[in-house]
Amino acid sequence: MFDKWQRRENLDEEWKKRYFIGKVLLFFILGILWLRLFYLQVIKHSYYLKKAKARSVVSYVIKAPRGEILTADGVVVATNRATFQLYIDLENLANEESTLKKLSFLLKEDYGSLKERFYLAKKMSFGRILLKRNLTWDEVARILVRQYYLPGVFVEVETERYYPYGEAYFHLLGYVARINKEEYESLKNYGYSSEDFIGKKGIEKIYEKFLKGVNGRLEIERDAYGRLGRVVGKISPKAGEDLILTVRHDLQMRAYELLKDKRGAIVALDPKDGALLALVSMPSLDPNKFIVGFESEEWNKYINDPARPLLNKAIQAYPPGSTFKPITALAGLEAGIVKGPNWSVFCPGYFNFGSHTFRCWEKKGHGSVGLIKAIALSCDVYFYTIGSRIDIDFLAKVAREFGLGEPTGLGFPDEKTGLVPDSAWKQKKFKSSWYQGETINIAIGQGYLLTTPLQMARAYMVFANGGNLYKVYVIKEIRSKEGKILYKESPTLEKKVTIQKDYYNWILEGLRKVVEEGTGKAARVPGIIVWGKTGTAQVVSLKKKTKTTEHHAWFVSFAGNSTPEIVSAVLVEHGGSGGAVAAPIAGELYRTFYKIPSSQKEIKILEERIEEVPQVYEAPEERPNVGNNTF
Amino acid sequence: MSGTTRFKEFIKENMWVFLVLFCLILINIINQLSMGETSGYFWKNVLWHLIGLVLFCLLVIFFDYRKVPLGFVWIVYFLMVLLLMVLALFKKRWLVIGAISIQPTEFLKIILLYLLSLYINKKKELKLENSETIFLLGVILLPLIFILPVDLDYAFIIGTMFFSFLLFFGFPKRLLVGLVILGLILFIILTPIMWNKLKPHQKGRIYGYLDPEKYYKTWGYQLSQSLIAIGSGGIKGQGLKKGWSTRLDYLPAKNTDLAFSVFAEAFGLLGTTIFLILYGYLLYWGLMISTKAKDLLGKALSLGIVLIFMWQAFFNIGGASGLLPMTSIPQPFLSYGGSITIATYLLLSILFNIAFKKVFFK
Repeated sequence: MFDKWQRRENLDEEWKKRYFIGKVLLFFILGILWLRLFYLQVIKHSYYLKKAKARSVVSYVIKAPRGEILTADGVVVATNRATFQLYIDLENLANEESTLKKLSFLLKEDYGSLKERFYLAKKMSFGRILLKRNLTWDEVARILVRQYYLPGVFVEVETERYYPYGEAYFHLLGYVARINKEEYESLKNYGYSSEDFIGKKGIEKIYEKFLKGVNGRLEIERDAYGRLGRVVGKISPKAGEDLILTVRHDLQMRAYELLKDKRGAIVALDPKDGALLALVSMPSLDPNKFIVGFESEEWNKYINDPARPLLNKAIQAYPPGSTFKPITALAGLEAGIVKGPNWSVFCPGYFNFGSHTFRCWEKKGHGSVGLIKAIALSCDVYFYTIGSRIDIDFLAKVAREFGLGEPTGLGFPDEKTGLVPDSAWKQKKFKSSWYQGETINIAIGQGYLLTTPLQMARAYMVFANGGNLYKVYVIKEIRSKEGKILYKESPTLEKKVTIQKDYYNWILEGLRKVVEEGTGKAARVPGIIVWGKTGTAQVVSLKKKTKTTEHHAWFVSFAGNSTPEIVSAVLVEHGGSGGAVAAPIAGELYRTFYKIPSSQKEIKILEERIEEVPQVYEAPEERPNVGNNTF
Repeated sequence: MSGTTRFKEFIKENMWVFLVLFCLILINIINQLSMGETSGYFWKNVLWHLIGLVLFCLLVIFFDYRKVPLGFVWIVYFLMVLLLMVLALFKKRWLVIGAISIQPTEFLKIILLYLLSLYINKKKELKLENSETIFLLGVILLPLIFILPVDLDYAFIIGTMFFSFLLFFGFPKRLLVGLVILGLILFIILTPIMWNKLKPHQKGRIYGYLDPEKYYKTWGYQLSQSLIAIGSGGIKGQGLKKGWSTRLDYLPAKNTDLAFSVFAEAFGLLGTTIFLILYGYLLYWGLMISTKAKDLLGKALSLGIVLIFMWQAFFNIGGASGLLPMTSIPQPFLSYGGSITIATYLLLSILFNIAFKKVFFK
């Protein structure tokens, strides 16, 4: 008995140690587990929560419908249309091969070509892969009923940009295209998704932030098998804002038709406030093509085309030629060189300055020429005479008064400012002083002088409205989809050009005579008055003249019943003579503006041979290749 | 004292542990409920608990842990070894009888525990001879040899459970040191050989354990998903049936092996802490019973039960949380499973029986 008791006591004593070890072991193990859980659930919580969300919730961008663009007369020129797009989400794609096989069967397409397209698109895209655009209802139905067996294949209804008038508005509106990687990287924090379209040129680019809208977001749960479940979050997209242009649709379309097979640009402005009425540059291309994307071959064709269809010619710089002469005339009057309308110069057909002989385009000569006749007939000798006496810096100052050599306010990033040269410019650029002989060139709009068609139209606006130089604008209003006007453009008067009343009347008389009986007769429109000036800008020296290097034809003009209501500039690259080629286009444009029936019959032109091609003064030294640009 | 008053006293004395046990059972039921759509599991789980509870009550009251003869346990032991041999022959882990499949390894734990405890009970002091130790180690290893090819993890874990159990009973120091050295040498020599012998899924588990994020889609899938589930639970948890990992079927074996991750996702650190406290209290109470037990058999049994539960939780939760390589063992009071539930109740009934019977000692 005692032995048993003794044994138990020893055992209890001994067991206390075991118990203690057991307790320590238990606490140690549970403690380790708890610390691990604390690490995972507290310290790493946000990390794992983010992973859980990335794994379990797929979030899709609901693209905001882009704002529409309307003309002043209410025609929608950029809109959206709903299309069905077939997307492949690589993350959810179970079996590439079998999915593509199934799709090729459903779309009734060759497996090989579908596969090729898939790999091409895969290489290009960095989000989901857009495999096919514009699915038909039939295709949509065939895919949707089998969607369960096609994990990773999605049919999305998307709004896609559509330009109903294609080429006609390309250079004005620009275009949208799929966002590229660099743009996406820099814009992804501003609500852009990798599948967005973004304005790349023209109005679409400049007003991107208004047109874009705010993308929505759809968050859907995805289970371990890739099946989508319930919607856990939805943010509706906010449509972009609508732009109302100042452009008149009929005028724009007419301008497009008139220039269709030519190279060049037409710009029309409202002289009252600088509103853009039409802007066409040709050749053009269909902006809808940018949405589909180009085949590289087709794209190369466009960029290698010598006619430069991608270039907006309305805002490229050209020598203005004789269209600059009214400004020379005004400068001559203000400088006191031209002492009134009756101050005349005898034109024998040439003009000698130093050892150089400048030729008038009329080889026979114009005889005795006064201011009005000089403008009307574009007599070069008259303006050579002014050029030989006037200070280049003064002439440049007057030219700048008319907004030449500076941006017009339209705001297109690819707009050229042109060049109004003066002695300081030459000193800086060529480290040499100005020659008066060069001024003679500038006086007839050649030499270093470069202007864009838009600048010329704007400069003539000053003549048209009696001295107000407005900034050019194209957006009249920005409206929300609900119709609320968010922004209304008010015309900006950039500067007031003070022209003496007499001078103004004389020059206007000259411009009127150009159309009535001078070089610009082809622009005549019955019932209204057209004031204008032809120009034929030399491109390369006459010796090398070939078909493609023919002169640029200009006609800058304005028209109205008694007060001018439209001012336009027409430039036809390598078109030939301004009076024969550009002036009739302006006339037709005004007919459309005043709703006068068109007379497309050939208008008998005063001179059959090329008019007003002056011989360019060759400076004694190396001459910069400015006037010889072939654009 | 009459039987009923004794019983009342027993309840009163151990009120807390009954409450804890009740909470743990409730947690198991809630956790299986939180798995959502698989309501079949939920009701089967409730059924197993009812069967287990009936067994538990009957055994605690009418059973006497001292009345199990050693010879009977030996017979059961050999029958079990035979069964495991047959199963190993057919490369099966489960014994399927009609609609019920039984995992014999769950019950092997009880048999081994009883066998070792009865053997130790005959000893005069807490000291094992070398020969005895080797004999007992052999007793442990014999069934494990047959489990090894079909369930490597469980064989290893049962080995750990009972090796640690023997350490509490005066394991000869020299032998221990010798075994440890031998083990190390074998480990170094055998690892390269064993590595090539490992099945791809076993190797994969190691890869997955070492870098779950890299092998996210393959070997690390289970662990990655488990870590995401536990981690995304945070402090307060995602809430019942709300967690993505559980609801969207990202967690594999969520009803069984990774039931802990489901619980951790739904109830967060708060829930897991409460679970560990409850579980820990139960085990701590088991250790207390081992000190209060009047005979060595009771001490050995209760300590063994505590160790079994402790290692089970360590390997299950440790595996689910990436602390240890993932093993496919269930977690008592969280996982679903007939065998584990019944085995848990059997172990608990022995433990409570020891607590109940101590008053019968003079």
